[in-house]
Amino acid sequence: MVRVVASLMVALAALLPVAAEAHGPSRQKVVSKIEINAPVDKVWATVGNFQDMSWHPAVAKTEGTGGNDVGATRKLTLQSGGVINEKLTKYSAEERGLAYEITDVDVKVLPVTNYSAQMNVSGTAEKTIVEWRAAFYRGFVNNDPPPELSDEAAVKAVTEIVQGGLGALKKKFEGG
Amino acid sequence: MARAHRIFWAARLQVGQFFFAVLSLVASGVPGSVWAGEGSAASAAYVTNQIGNSLSIVDLATEKQVAEIAIGGKPAGIAMSPDGRSAYVAAPDGREVIAIDTASRSVIKRAAVGKGPLGIAVNPTTGAIYVADWYEHRLYVVDPATLAVTATVPTGQSPSGVAVTADGTTILTADRDSNQVSVIDAATFKVQSTIATGERPFGITIDEAAGRAYTANVAANTITVIDLKSRTHLSDVPVGLRPYAVARAANLLFVTNQHDESVSVIDAVTLQPVKTLRVGGFPEGIEADPTGSTIWVACWDANTLEKIDVATLSVTARIPVGEGPRAFGKFLR
Repeated sequence: MVRVVASLMVALAALLPVAAEAHGPSRQKVVSKIEINAPVDKVWATVGNFQDMSWHPAVAKTEGTGGNDVGATRKLTLQSGGVINEKLTKYSAEERGLAYEITDVDVKVLPVTNYSAQMNVSGTAEKTIVEWRAAFYRGFVNNDPPPELSDEAAVKAVTEIVQGGLGALKKKFEGG
Repeated sequence: MARAHRIFWAARLQVGQFFFAVLSLVASGVPGSVWAGEGSAASAAYVTNQIGNSLSIVDLATEKQVAEIAIGGKPAGIAMSPDGRSAYVAAPDGREVIAIDTASRSVIKRAAVGKGPLGIAVNPTTGAIYVADWYEHRLYVVDPATLAVTATVPTGQSPSGVAVTADGTTILTADRDSNQVSVIDAATFKVQSTIATGERPFGITIDEAAGRAYTANVAANTITVIDLKSRTHLSDVPVGLRPYAVARAANLLFVTNQHDESVSVIDAVTLQPVKTLRVGGFPEGIEADPTGSTIWVACWDANTLEKIDVATLSVTARIPVGEGPRAFGKFLR
């Protein structure tokens, strides 16, 4: 009887929509920056185009609407086939910075929830610094996450994206 | 230097509304307009560093971190004993409440409480500790001497912020995933009523002078103003992106906007916007100094405790603390 009730509860829980805003108790952070021997305007022309993330090695296709206006959206199709939907939340050409949020992603593609990030570009005609800051919660919104949806798994996955992207930017502009 | 890397979102001073705010400071007889500095200045801030698993102690006179104590368990919630001798931390990952002796700056006791202890507050008259459990959807009443749970009160879903009225009779919880505030009798531990809020209320603050409470509604980008006497929802006021908590000083409300690196300043009487202040990334825990002259803000992304001068509405200090400061609760002493 207890087992029947328990399995019923599991079945019911699966039917209930997971509140989109729910999240774990501890927000995670990944911050990384890279120095690129290239003019700042050139780097910003790439990083500051929200509608083209082809510079990132994990991204196969960028489709979106709204250009670089706040509220613009993009759908990233990854090399793996996974899809990430994002929305531009801040944009400043003057300060060479943008911020965006993930509006929809399967935790099997990226094990995070409530993900937001900023990319900021600064520097000179010779040297550029790109900083990428991401804030997010783990993929599992309830207590006792499985290992693949833990805080550690989320930090690892985001670190790979951020560092992979920054490394690719450096390579793109410095050649090689 | 780091600030140069951040996106600038200009502080918008809305001149007409600002002058109106100044005028209403002078006015009298308007509910809530009599707020004035009522206590002596706080001397220290106790800032929970969730990523750093620590508690920063900041000397407010010298504006320096003077100690960082290892806590563990991803600490977030913070509260002070009425006599200021103890600080209490809620650590949701560690599932513990931790008591810190403020004189020796050391952990003196820790105890398991629930499965997701997050928000924490202390009854100012009895010293009882109240802990909201994010996952168990209940409020624990914890004995300050033993840290043992003495009572359990069911709340709405994912209670987060907790506040207690100055007379010690009433406890409020912001039930994040039920979009409501629970009003709990501190003597019987019965939920007396619930009050609807904007979507996803997180922090809750009581404004004794105005007889009001405020929730910061993360998903609605608003704060809800509640009348405490009638226990009714008065209005929802728009603020910045993903508001976290509210503080009051002078005739102004200050709201931390996590995704805006800003603090919204709102006239407490007219509930009209006055100014938006730029602060460090992910501003979260916020509290007014008892004198009403200063607001302190913990900035999760910037790893700072920032000082806002209420008279000039400007940020006058940015003090480095530990990694990922949240300071969710009353963190000044």
